[in-house]
Amino acid sequence: MADAVRMDVNLGGIHMRNPINTASGTFGNGRQFEGFYDVGATLGAITCKGVAAQPWQGNDAPRLAELPSAIMNSVGLQNPGVPAFVQTYGTYLQSVVDRGCAVICQVAGHSIDEYVRALELFEELAPFASGFELNISCPNIAKGGAAMGATPRDAAEVMRAVRPLTKRPIVVKMAPHDVAEIGRALEAEGADALSLINTIPGMAIDINTRRSRVARPTAGVSGPAIHAIAVRMVWECAQAVKIPLCGIGGVASGADAAEMILAGATAVSVGTANLTDPMAAKRVVEELEAWASQQGVSSIDELRGAFVC
Amino acid sequence: MSASGAKTNLHEFVVQENEQVAEGLWRMRCNTALAAELAPGQFVQVSVPADASHILRIPLSFARADARSGELDIVYAVVGEGTRRLSAMAVGQASTMVGPCGNGWWLPQDQGRALLVAGGVGLPPIFACASMLAQTGVGFDVVVGAQTASRHCVGYVDELRSMGIHEGCDCARKVVLTTDDGTLGMRGFVTQAMENLLAEHTYAQVYACGPNPMMAGVAKLSMSKDIACEVSLERMMGCGFGACSCCNVALVDGTQALCCTDGPVFDARRVQWQTR
Repeated sequence: MADAVRMDVNLGGIHMRNPINTASGTFGNGRQFEGFYDVGATLGAITCKGVAAQPWQGNDAPRLAELPSAIMNSVGLQNPGVPAFVQTYGTYLQSVVDRGCAVICQVAGHSIDEYVRALELFEELAPFASGFELNISCPNIAKGGAAMGATPRDAAEVMRAVRPLTKRPIVVKMAPHDVAEIGRALEAEGADALSLINTIPGMAIDINTRRSRVARPTAGVSGPAIHAIAVRMVWECAQAVKIPLCGIGGVASGADAAEMILAGATAVSVGTANLTDPMAAKRVVEELEAWASQQGVSSIDELRGAFVC
Repeated sequence: MSASGAKTNLHEFVVQENEQVAEGLWRMRCNTALAAELAPGQFVQVSVPADASHILRIPLSFARADARSGELDIVYAVVGEGTRRLSAMAVGQASTMVGPCGNGWWLPQDQGRALLVAGGVGLPPIFACASMLAQTGVGFDVVVGAQTASRHCVGYVDELRSMGIHEGCDCARKVVLTTDDGTLGMRGFVTQAMENLLAEHTYAQVYACGPNPMMAGVAKLSMSKDIACEVSLERMMGCGFGACSCCNVALVDGTQALCCTDGPVFDARRVQWQTR
């Protein structure tokens, strides 16, 4: 048995006991998984569902379709608004932090003003938050979301507006395109870390009704089918920026997480796999540690970006 | 936390029987510790092994959960690849299910008679509801509808007929069968049979499960007579325990509930009855 490998990492000021995080929207707000395992005692971080200043009702049904090795969703960031979110989950999320797991609150908006208002409310009402994730990449809302982060200039503009509002770390959730250019623009405006990728916009058409299989024409594709694309984008982004990355996309095993780390990610989020196997994130922690201990390193950090090419 | 008070968790199950019980309908009897934790009307999220390209679990209701023997009877329609593979699971084969999921049926507010309405594969949770009412001594009538005679689960219908009689409570007074084509029982929809019963009897509570248009009709009829009505809804589901917000149900107050954790049993008056 090799000596224990140090698994703790620093995601732009968010200290994590191990690199495993959860992708926003796939983990509820953590509490939903406490019946399966002790979330706060197990994971490096959890990222909560995106929350805006005001409640959003999200998109119409159906919001979900199954695809080969993937799903597509069009939830549209249904959320209760920051005050109700804090009221419902604040005490629980503080208990997660108290157990040694970072809590990242995701900030949603339709416009720069809405991102500002949401982050102001979080800053005031959520002392438990270890950091924030700015979602400028949701493909499922008509205004804002992915449109806010579609170009380096747009992404930088949002970042510039929110940066002065908090001293806590801001991670920016990126859309699956132009990750090097947009990543550089966000880094220049003071982003502490980047998380990528959000779901990939796709379409699934019912050939009998000729309608979309979800309520909107397009929806976000996630799951094992997009993993290789996500690893490539993490690798591209890692070469473009110096700030740490959280790799997201089809991670369902320790091996998948290891690929992300080798490609340059500091942390790795488990997403869709949480829905299909509620034990997935815990299992990924264990499998990743087993892999790291076989690599002859003293810290998982030594494996970051160790991809050989 | 579920209606039964048990936390949603991951459980193993082993297939004991898996056989066709009517055209397009199968029954899997499996053994699982989860059987002791399920309340009538809740559901489970079943993982079907052997094909990694289908990643979602299948949300399934059950007809019977025996706490003592650990037997769980799941009746399901074979409608797609997932349920086709479920029907191919062999006796002795093991997999996992997540549960208990969601909220079960509520007992009637008073001890007045209940009317149970099942359409197609809506039968299992209605059967579980009937068992619950029989045990608590609440009287009820049942309407069971199917497209055609071959799609009726004769075994469950017989059990509904005899239910409670041996306990001397005369629980099931009437079991009315309907078929769309008239090949068994009354020709027509369950709502027509329901109208007939409503004209003859007074009911304190209606319980319904079936296709969405059927439940919309049952809900409308119940509301027009000011009878409390509970419906068990079905949605495409991601997790089954409130983590992904994919299984939304539009409510009349303009908000979106989640079928998995706010339901699947809803007060029919709260639901926006529009079908896409």
